[in-house]
Amino acid sequence: MSLALAARDVVVELGARRVLDGVSFEVARGEFAALCGPNGGGKTTFLRAALGLVPLAKGSIEVLGARPGVATAGVGYLPQTKSFSGSFPARVLDVIAAARRGVWPFHVSGPERERALEVLARVGGEHLVDSSLRGLSGGELQRVFLARALARDPALLLLDEPTAGVDGGGRVEFFELLAGIAAREDLAALLVTHNAAAVRRLADRVVYLDGTVRAWGTPNQVLDRDWERASAFSGHDHTAPVDARCEDA
Amino acid sequence: MDGVVELLLSPLGQGFVRRALAAGLALGTAGALIGVFVVQRGLGLIADGLAHATFGGIALGLLLGATPDRAIWVALPFTVAVALGIQQLRRRTSLGGDVATGVFFAVSFAAGVLFLGLRGPRGVPVNVEALLFGSMLAVSPEALTVVALVSLLVVAVLLRVGPQLAYATFDAELARLSGVRVAALESLLLALTALVVVVGAKTVGVVLIAAFVVIPAAAAQLFGRTLGATLVLAVAASLAGTAFGLFASYHLNVAPGATIVLTLGAFFFLALVLRRR
Repeated sequence: MSLALAARDVVVELGARRVLDGVSFEVARGEFAALCGPNGGGKTTFLRAALGLVPLAKGSIEVLGARPGVATAGVGYLPQTKSFSGSFPARVLDVIAAARRGVWPFHVSGPERERALEVLARVGGEHLVDSSLRGLSGGELQRVFLARALARDPALLLLDEPTAGVDGGGRVEFFELLAGIAAREDLAALLVTHNAAAVRRLADRVVYLDGTVRAWGTPNQVLDRDWERASAFSGHDHTAPVDARCEDA
Repeated sequence: MDGVVELLLSPLGQGFVRRALAAGLALGTAGALIGVFVVQRGLGLIADGLAHATFGGIALGLLLGATPDRAIWVALPFTVAVALGIQQLRRRTSLGGDVATGVFFAVSFAAGVLFLGLRGPRGVPVNVEALLFGSMLAVSPEALTVVALVSLLVVAVLLRVGPQLAYATFDAELARLSGVRVAALESLLLALTALVVVVGAKTVGVVLIAAFVVIPAAAAQLFGRTLGATLVLAVAASLAGTAFGLFASYHLNVAPGATIVLTLGAFFFLALVLRRR
C-alpha cells in the first residue's frame, strides 16, 4: 500500500510536557482520514510535526515518503486559526499566487491569474479572485484558504479544524465542498475536527488521539464506540478511552 | 500664479534648504518603505522605542568623547543591538512586542540621561533640544551622505528580499512552510528600522522620527488594495509631506520636523475621512 503519511512511535515534547507519546498510524494515498480527540490531545501538534514546524523527540513521520518539511510542494495545509495579518493589503489573487511562488507577488502575470482562476473554480470561488481579503466573510475566507492549500496540486491535504469560527450553514457548505473535492480528486487528507457529522460524511478512517492513539477505525466503529472492532481494524492493541468521541459541533 | 510658485520655491536658492530637502526626501522614502512592513506587523511602537534608544546611543558616544556629529557611529550599533534585543525578548518570552519595546525604551532613555550626566565638566557641550527635536536645516554634507547611503541600503535590501519579507509579514507560518527564513527576515527588518531611526533622529529629532516610519504607512494602508500600491502611496505621502512641511517651516520660521510631521498627520486624518465616505 502506498502511503501518504506514516507516523511511527512519534514523541513530541513542548517544554516539559509530553504532548504526543508513541503515536503510530498511517494514511494511504487517496484516503481521507479524520483526527479526533479531546482538546489538548495533540491533534494540532501532530499536524505541525508532520509539517516540520515542531521537532520530534523520538520516532518518525514520513510525509509522501520524506521527512517532515521536505516534500512541502506536495502538501496543502489549511491552518486552524488563520494567522495572517487581517489588515494586510491583499487580493485573493495575491494569496493564491503567493502559495504557488512561495514568496509574495508584487505583480501577478496573466498565466498566474489563469492558474489562480482554475484553482478557485475548484472551490467555487472564481468570483472572489479580485476581492480584497479584508472584505471577505468567514466562509469565503475558508474557500480561499482551501484554494490556497490546493494551489500546488498537493497529494496530501492537512486540514486543522477548518470550520472553526464559521457558522452552522457555512460549516455544512464547506464540508460538502470538501467531500466533492475528495470524491473528484485523488487526494489523501488528514482532517482535524470535532464535527462528528463531518467525520461520518467525509472520512474513510478515524484516528482518536489523546496523547497517544486510543482508537483507529472506520467512522462507525470509532464514533459508535465499537472499540473491539476499531482496535482490530487498526492492527494495534489500543485501549478504549473512557469518553472517546468526536463532538457534534 | 507664477509669483506664488516662485515664493514657495524661493527657499531652494539656499544650500542648507536644498540639503534639508534632500535629506528629508531620502529619509521619507526609506521610512515609508520600512514603515509599511513595520505597521503591518503591529510594531508601530518599535520605531518610537528605537528613537529613544538612539538618544541613549548618542549619549554613549558623547560620553566616549565623540563629537555630536560622530556620536551617530556609536548610536548605530547601539540601536541595532537594542532592536535585536527587543526581538529576542519577544521570541524567547511570552512578553508582547509592546512590553519588550517599553522596557528597552525606558532603560535606553534613562541610560542616555545617565551617560550625559557622567560626561563631567570637560565633555563636549551638547544642545539637548537639537538632539530631541532635530536640526534638519543644519544637515551637514557629511550627514546628508550618511542619510542617502542608509536610504539606498534600505531600498536595495527591500528590492532583494521584499517578496520574502512580504510573505513573512502576511503569514509567518505559511511563509516558513515555503522555506522563507522568517526569523532572519524579522531581524533584518528591525535592523533596517534601527538604521533609519538613527539617521532620522539626527535629522528630525528623537521625538519625531517615529512619525516618519508610522504615519505615511498608516495613511497608505487605508487606501492600498495591494501591497505594491500601499508602498507607492506611503512613499508618495511621505515625499509630499516632507516637501510641503519643509517649505512651510521656512516661511513660518519654525522647526521643520514639527511642520513635516503635522503635514503627515493631516494626510492621515484626511485619508481617514475620505476612507469613511
